[in-house]
Amino acid sequence: MNIIEVESLTKHFGQVTAVDNISFQVGKGEIFGLLGPNGAGKTTTIRCLLTLIKPTSGTARVCGIDILKNPQQVRQISGCVPQELSVDGELTGYENLLFYAKLFHIPSAIRKKRIEEVLDFMQLTDRANDLVKTYSGGMMRRLEISQVMINRPQALFLDELSIGLDPAAKRVVWDYVMRLREEFDTTILLTTHDMNEADELCDRIAIMNGGKIVATGSPEELKLRLGGDVVSITTSSPDCALVLSELGYQLLPQSRDSVCDLVVKEGDSEIPHILERLKSRGITTQSVSLKRATLDDVFLRYAGKRIGESEADWQRTRMMRRTLRRRGQ
Amino acid sequence: MTMARSIINIFTITEFELRKLRHDFSEVFMRVIQPALWLLVFGEVFAKVCVLPTGSYSYLQFLTPGVLAQSVIFVAIFYGLMLVWERDLGLLHKLLSTPAPRYSIIIGKALSAGVRSIFQAVVVFALALVIQVHLNINLVTVLGVLAVIVLSGMCFSSLSMFLASLLRTRERVMGIGQVITMPLFFASSAIYPIDIMPDWLKVVAHINPLSYVVDALRAMLVTGDFSHILVDIGALALVTAILIGLASIAFNRIIR
Repeated sequence: MNIIEVESLTKHFGQVTAVDNISFQVGKGEIFGLLGPNGAGKTTTIRCLLTLIKPTSGTARVCGIDILKNPQQVRQISGCVPQELSVDGELTGYENLLFYAKLFHIPSAIRKKRIEEVLDFMQLTDRANDLVKTYSGGMMRRLEISQVMINRPQALFLDELSIGLDPAAKRVVWDYVMRLREEFDTTILLTTHDMNEADELCDRIAIMNGGKIVATGSPEELKLRLGGDVVSITTSSPDCALVLSELGYQLLPQSRDSVCDLVVKEGDSEIPHILERLKSRGITTQSVSLKRATLDDVFLRYAGKRIGESEADWQRTRMMRRTLRRRGQ
Repeated sequence: MTMARSIINIFTITEFELRKLRHDFSEVFMRVIQPALWLLVFGEVFAKVCVLPTGSYSYLQFLTPGVLAQSVIFVAIFYGLMLVWERDLGLLHKLLSTPAPRYSIIIGKALSAGVRSIFQAVVVFALALVIQVHLNINLVTVLGVLAVIVLSGMCFSSLSMFLASLLRTRERVMGIGQVITMPLFFASSAIYPIDIMPDWLKVVAHINPLSYVVDALRAMLVTGDFSHILVDIGALALVTAILIGLASIAFNRIIR
């Protein structure tokens, strides 16, 4: 059953087309990632789904409920963690959770228990009564997720989940997201411009660029579509390249006598076969290395640029957004 | 069911706005300064000059309700800045993605602004006591004054939230706040009687909600003349309801 169904969704802001006729479905319990550089239209898509802004055309359904016809019902079963900070620093962690428990009308009989559960789940119990402004970035992120989990949403929207977190804190937050899905079977739609995050967390990914979805599939599928991994074999036998091509492997043009680079579908399972076959032909290998295809390569292929190239622009984009807001556009 | 839920939402939002005060009390002190200045400096000096015809009451008696009303609206008129601030932080996006209807968020926040104004009432009462201004203080007038104060805090904070939703930037909300507070103040009966105004200003004063606030406060605290009080409170309540409606309709614009 599909929890999220997006149909030809389009959103214009004045002259700019932020989201350009996109469609996709997310199944129950799936973690689906919208991957793309800043300005690709990911956040706009999420805001449309959360009924915060009205799409110019097209529509979407969350658990079969139309976002245009029943926005309030959609909000009742959804949870959202926006990319900006969304917990109140002037309140304690516990108060932040109590606030949302009340707003979502969790019956008072189970309110306390529910709050303690999520605090325990996110391991924030011992800091629950401290003001949130004293929390670290990773803890705030965990509290933000707990805040929406209070309501046990059917669909959880995470916008730039790990932005601004250090690698260790990122990993912790990822673990919690995975456990959320395992424990509550929550359907999760997340946006990210971090390849690694998409690769680690998502069951399926839609690559967005310039408001369009340019490719959809599981991270593995997408990487496979590139042809596979690169295996480099260092050897002292001059015949190695010849033997390899006789065996039917596809060699890359940059291969030299002592180093052969070949493209194989699944590098890790293929390496033992390659070595065995080379050995049986009397060729000794000195070292083998594997370079796996990354989502970055996939992105390069479909969007025509590396996503990392826009990474450095992050600060600039933020500043630009702020300026636009100042001007009220 | 829906109605009951909306009311719970309103009080929840008010409750947590007020909880924030518990953790940071500095705001309360800021609210003390302005009314103190108006009463202790402006009031004392003008009381000595005796140029304003305030009837059988001393100028300080006349002024105290005016200063109380003024100090409440001067703070409330900038309440919209908080919305802009929360929007910039991201708090508002999350709040708007809850099922709470927009109007319940506006009313909840307006109510918290109104309740915060009570501090000012306390301060003005204390100051009046210190400089020995005679006011009619009994249980009925105190409760009446608090009710009017809360309502006017709601009224002007809703106006501010409405403007913030339309203008959407901190600078503009600051600017418009500055632009409207002084005219509101001077074109009301806060610091001088309406009778001495030129005719055109009398018209402005009569459509100025602040005049109704001042009139109601003055009736309770000074004159004891309750002949207008229902009109005063009715007008204030009506304007508040209209502004809450406008702010709720415009609210979505702030996150656009």
